[in-house]
Amino acid sequence: MTIEVTIRNAENGSNLNMELEPHTTIEDIIEGAAEFWHKEAGAYVLRRGKKLLKGQSTVMDAGLKNEDVLELIPDPEGG
Amino acid sequence: MAQPGGDDRWDRSRRLGWIDVDSVLESHCLVVGAGALGNETVKNLALSGVGKVTLVDMDHVELSNLNRCLFFSDRDASGKAAKADVVAQGAMRLSSHCEVLPFVSRIEETDLDWTGFDVVFGCLDNIKARLHLNSHSRHHRVPYVDAGTDGSRGKIQVVRREGPCLQCSMNRSHYQVLERRFSCTAGDFTYYEPPMAAEVTTTATMAAMQVKEGLKILSGREDGCIRDVMFYDAMSNESLVLELDIDEDCPNHGM
Repeated sequence: MTIEVTIRNAENGSNLNMELEPHTTIEDIIEGAAEFWHKEAGAYVLRRGKKLLKGQSTVMDAGLKNEDVLELIPDPEGG
Repeated sequence: MAQPGGDDRWDRSRRLGWIDVDSVLESHCLVVGAGALGNETVKNLALSGVGKVTLVDMDHVELSNLNRCLFFSDRDASGKAAKADVVAQGAMRLSSHCEVLPFVSRIEETDLDWTGFDVVFGCLDNIKARLHLNSHSRHHRVPYVDAGTDGSRGKIQVVRREGPCLQCSMNRSHYQVLERRFSCTAGDFTYYEPPMAAEVTTTATMAAMQVKEGLKILSGREDGCIRDVMFYDAMSNESLVLELDIDEDCPNHGM
């Protein structure tokens, strides 16, 4: 069963609604959102609440639910 | 009139109560990267009383570094001085107590005795070196405090002896960046296109937070450390601490 979640862009506050299959991975969500917002190639992470979500987890593994709000955060690489 | 404790270099640090100054004075830290974060981190460690710092960086000073690097000068840039050497000399001028041992080398090519380090600080600009530092810290059970910046954003991750590591927080997007960096590397030079935005207030903020976490570890106050990752955005003045689970598939766990 598919669920619909909202992805928030931490860099500009804009939102994106995504329909997800149970087997969709967090990495797939990151890639889809980064592509939608035409983000520069770079490292990103996704959080739900106070939890940083594991990339290889599926929607089912991560326990994502309908109407969850996730946030896409750039992971700074520079030093 | 002399202030009470005025003749004790560490008096004001002792007055904080939670810093174990004696442990800090005897400690030996590894800092990898002598760029913007490394300048500030080594400065903070020296002023905080750390007794010994091993500093590794393979790069030389460039003029474009001078908007954010405390110890670098025009002369260092024109003379292509080694970053590790310049930071080591600068930090030892700040504190006669602190011995800084510079290694002008990539961390992957440096043969270090990891058993002597109390805390490792990652001040790096690439994922490959971070993974190296992460796996060696895990293997030798040395706490690792990693910092990263990009423009006005920053991140701190505290990798404790137990618990999730840096690699546990990574996903496909990190490995794609890693592959791109490899494809842009030729000989001794790595090309970054475009160069990352960077300025001193964000790098100094992140280095201060990084060293604060290290001082907690050195003082036996790991319970007060960031658990596990903190993201900071200077433009919205927001910081966010996120928990992370151990990734059962991470090669650094279950060994």
